[in-house]
Formats: sequence, structure tokens, C-alpha cells
Amino acid sequence: MDLSKDLVAASATPLILAILRQKDSYGYEIIKMIKEASDDEIIWTEGMLYPVLHRLENSKLVESYWKMSKEGRRRKYYRLTEAGRQELEKHAKQWELVYSVLSSAIIAAKSRKDDEDV
Amino acid sequence: MFELEQHVRSWGDYLRSKGMKEADVLELESHLLDQIDDLVKSGLSEEEAFIISVKRLGNVNTISEEYSKINTENLWKHLLLDPADPTAKARSRKQIALIILLSFLAGTAAKIPAMFGIQTQDVVYFKNLSFFVLPFIAFFITVKHGRVKMFWPLLAVYTTSCVVVNLLSPYRPSQTDILTGVHLPLFLWLVTGIAYTGQEWRSSKARMNFVRFTGECVIYGSLLMLGLMVLMMFTMIIFQSININMGPFVENYLVVYGGAAAALITVYLVEAKKSVVENFAPILAKIFSPVFLLTMIAFLGAMVVKRTSPFMAREFLIGFDLLLVVVLGIVLYTISARSVYDKRSIFDYLNAALIAVAIVVDCVALSAIIFRLSEFGITPNKMAALGENILLLVNLAALLVLYARYFASKIEFTLIETFQTRYLTVYAVWFAIVAFVFPIVFRVKW
Repeated sequence: MDLSKDLVAASATPLILAILRQKDSYGYEIIKMIKEASDDEIIWTEGMLYPVLHRLENSKLVESYWKMSKEGRRRKYYRLTEAGRQELEKHAKQWELVYSVLSSAIIAAKSRKDDEDV
Repeated sequence: MFELEQHVRSWGDYLRSKGMKEADVLELESHLLDQIDDLVKSGLSEEEAFIISVKRLGNVNTISEEYSKINTENLWKHLLLDPADPTAKARSRKQIALIILLSFLAGTAAKIPAMFGIQTQDVVYFKNLSFFVLPFIAFFITVKHGRVKMFWPLLAVYTTSCVVVNLLSPYRPSQTDILTGVHLPLFLWLVTGIAYTGQEWRSSKARMNFVRFTGECVIYGSLLMLGLMVLMMFTMIIFQSININMGPFVENYLVVYGGAAAALITVYLVEAKKSVVENFAPILAKIFSPVFLLTMIAFLGAMVVKRTSPFMAREFLIGFDLLLVVVLGIVLYTISARSVYDKRSIFDYLNAALIAVAIVVDCVALSAIIFRLSEFGITPNKMAALGENILLLVNLAALLVLYARYFASKIEFTLIETFQTRYLTVYAVWFAIVAFVFPIVFRVKW
């Protein structure tokens, strides 16, 4: 299932923040985690992820540090800041709201259709 | 054998040349390597994995475009590197410390002749100028690239040159001294190129990088020198207002130490931040190649119409030689800034036209030199000019032929690069001959 462009753009920030809430991570791993968590449905491109990450860093929602990997490679890790945590809460509430309105509207539409069928 | 490391590095360099920040390039490089690792684990070869990963990372241009949107900070801010990770930070701090130390040493070395009563205006001082700067530059470059071993043979070359040049008493009226003073730095700069290219000094790619490095040094060096001059002017003026004459101080210390520091800082800056200038120098070359072309065509046209030979006075002759050197520099820089994979563009044709016109100008100059030689007899100056014009003519003619074959799709562009980088050796040999052999040959009275 392909997500629409608008939805990808709107969901990128909360998804990244949520992943960094679990643990500090780096770009390649974030893409992999999103891919796995969505059963290969959501596949982000690097051209989309890194600009968002850097924008989040600029607005101090995440911060970065360099760490050596096991293979002796320098990686840029991102960590959620306190401001990022609050931002994630806000996003989560908004998404819950949208989701609950959407699902109740769909349920209502379904039951109406059921009524008509009878 | 597929060299993964090297390919990843050149990919990163491409991003750098697109103006991407160092930290961002490093981040993407590690991303690329992670992806390659995973693909190799699933059974692909390194080469296949590299190609697929680069493709997957998307069109690099759109990425760098995305980057440029967020990295709107002023480009100049990045000039003094601010590496993101601590090890690189420590390394760059060490380099800056080394540069400060070497600048001080170079300035002090330049003060040594004064102890023997040699003035900065003296020809002997001028002749030795390169020894005060180049060894220190070579030392910095070899240290930076982790090949200090290569410095010692170079130091031997500098020392031998210094001894030889100063033992040879000049041909009166010290003409060969000035010739040596002009040619020795050129020769030694090419020798210093070995510090830059390392073991691969024979390879055309490494030499092309050195040509690029030289061009960037010229641009940065001019900027720094301009700054230094402004500083000197203000020092003089503000102290004059309180009736203190800073002339001697400026002349004896600021010029010497400032000049030495400017040279070393230039090398440091060019090495530290290649990307900015790599974007800038091709633009300069592109702006000036059509302008120089027009100027030379207009000049040749006017000369034919007015039927006057411009070469009766020797000052003009030297002016024309300088013009040819500048033109060759523009041609060279356009070639060096061009990627081998680029398609043929209008600038290739412009470059070829520039070469063709330069050949005509060179022929006119050559005929004038030969005329002067037959009329006024042999002098070291004329012989040096003759040699240089012949070398330039051969170089330009060969370039033109190669360009023609390239336009006819008979050869790859790389061949032009290979020829030009090989030809640098010819220049080095000729510079050495003028610097070392001329003083010996012309001591014999003709």
C-alpha cells in the first residue's frame, strides 16, 4: 500500500520522534525500523528522511552526537530532547483525535449503510 | 579489483563539491556503507552493492538541493572547518597550531639574510625567496597526509638547490640571477607537488588534483594577500595620525611574517575546505575564457589592420608571454574543473578556440624573439623566452590536435588530461635548466 505524499510528509515527524523515544538511532536504522514496523509497507527515501532529521535538530526537538560503530564507522546518532518528548505527546494527541473521529465516522457510515440494506 | 573505499570517497567528494557540509557528507557516507554491508550480506558483490546503494540514495543532486534548503548558513562560515565529531576537531586544532608554528618559522627564516646585511630589495634575496616558504608548505602537506617520510628527500632537493643557486656567481649584469629568481620557485613548486600527490606522483589523476590545488591556492592566496595589504595600509595610516612612523616595522616584520603566514594559511584553507573553491574556480575560468578570447581576437585583428609589429620593445614581449601563461592557466583550469563524465559543452569549444588563438599569438611572439635573437645576439633572457615560447607552442598545438580528435569522437577526454599532466614534467625540466644550467652556461663569454 502506497501512502500518499501528503500523509508521508505529515507522519514523518511523529514517526521519527516516536522511534527516537524508544532509543537513540541513526538514519539508516530509522528507515529500517519504519520498514519493519510497517511490514515493508512504508519505505522512506533518504532524500526525505535526512532533511526532516536536520530540521528537527535545528528546532532542538532532537540532538545529535557522533559514535563509533562496531565496524569502526562513525555514525551520527540522534537523541530525543525534552522538547521533542513534549512535541511527540502533542502529535500523539492530535493523531489520536484524528484517528478516533475517523474511525467513529467510518463506523457510523457503515451502520447507516447496514440500516439501508435492511 | 573493485576499490570500495575509494569509490565511496569519490562519491562523498562529489557531494562536497556540490557544497554539502562535511558533517552531512560523513553521515550519508556511513549510510551508504551500511546499505552496502547489508546488500553484501545478502549475496551481492561489493561493486553491485555500491551501484545499487548509490542509485537507492537517489539522485545526489536532489539530495544536495534538499540540503541546501536547510543549510542556508553563509558558505564562508564553513571555511574554517567546524568538524562535527571530537576526533576531527582535535585534528583540525592540531593543524592550526602547526600552521601558526610553521608561519613563525618561515617568517624567521626569511629574516636570516638580513643578518648578513642582505636587503629585501636585493636580487639575491629575491632569488632565495622560495626557500623561505616552500619547505614549510611541503612539511605541512606531508604531515597532514601522514607521509612525513617523503619530506626528507624533498628537503634534500631544497637544500641542494639553495646551495647550488647561491654558489653560482651570476652572469653580468646579473641577468641570470633574475631568471633564476623567476624560474626556481616554479620548478620548486612542481617539486612540492610531489608532497601533495605522494607516491602516485606519476598518475595523471593525482597530477590533475595538484593542478586544481594550485589554481585554488592562487585564488585564496590573492584574497589573503589583498587582506594583508589592507592591513598594512591601515597600520601605516592610523599610526601616522599620532606621528609614529610604522614604515620600518611594516617593511621589516609585517611584510615578512604576514607574507609567510598568508602562504601557509592559503595551503591550509585550500586543503581544509576544497568544496567551496571547487565551485568557484570553474566559474572564474568560464567567465574569463570568452573575454580573453575576444580580447586576443580583437588585438590580432587590429594588428593586421594597422600593420604594426607590437614586439619591438622587450617589455611588451614579456607582457605577451605572461598573457600566454594566463591563457594556458585558464585552459588548464577549465580542463581540470571538468569531470571526465561530462558531456561535450559549449565551453569545450570555447576552450579549443582559445587555444587556437593563443597559438597564433604565440607564433607572432616567437617570430619576434627569433628576429631579436638574430638582430641583437644571444642573451640569457632571450634564450629563456625562446624556450618557453616553444614549450607553450608545442603544448597548445598538441592540445588543439587532441581537442579536434575529441570533437571527432575519436578519443576520450581523459587522453587530454593525461597529455597535459604528463607535459608538466617538461615544464619542470625546463624551469630547472633555466634556474641551474643557464648561470653556468652564460658565464662563458660568448
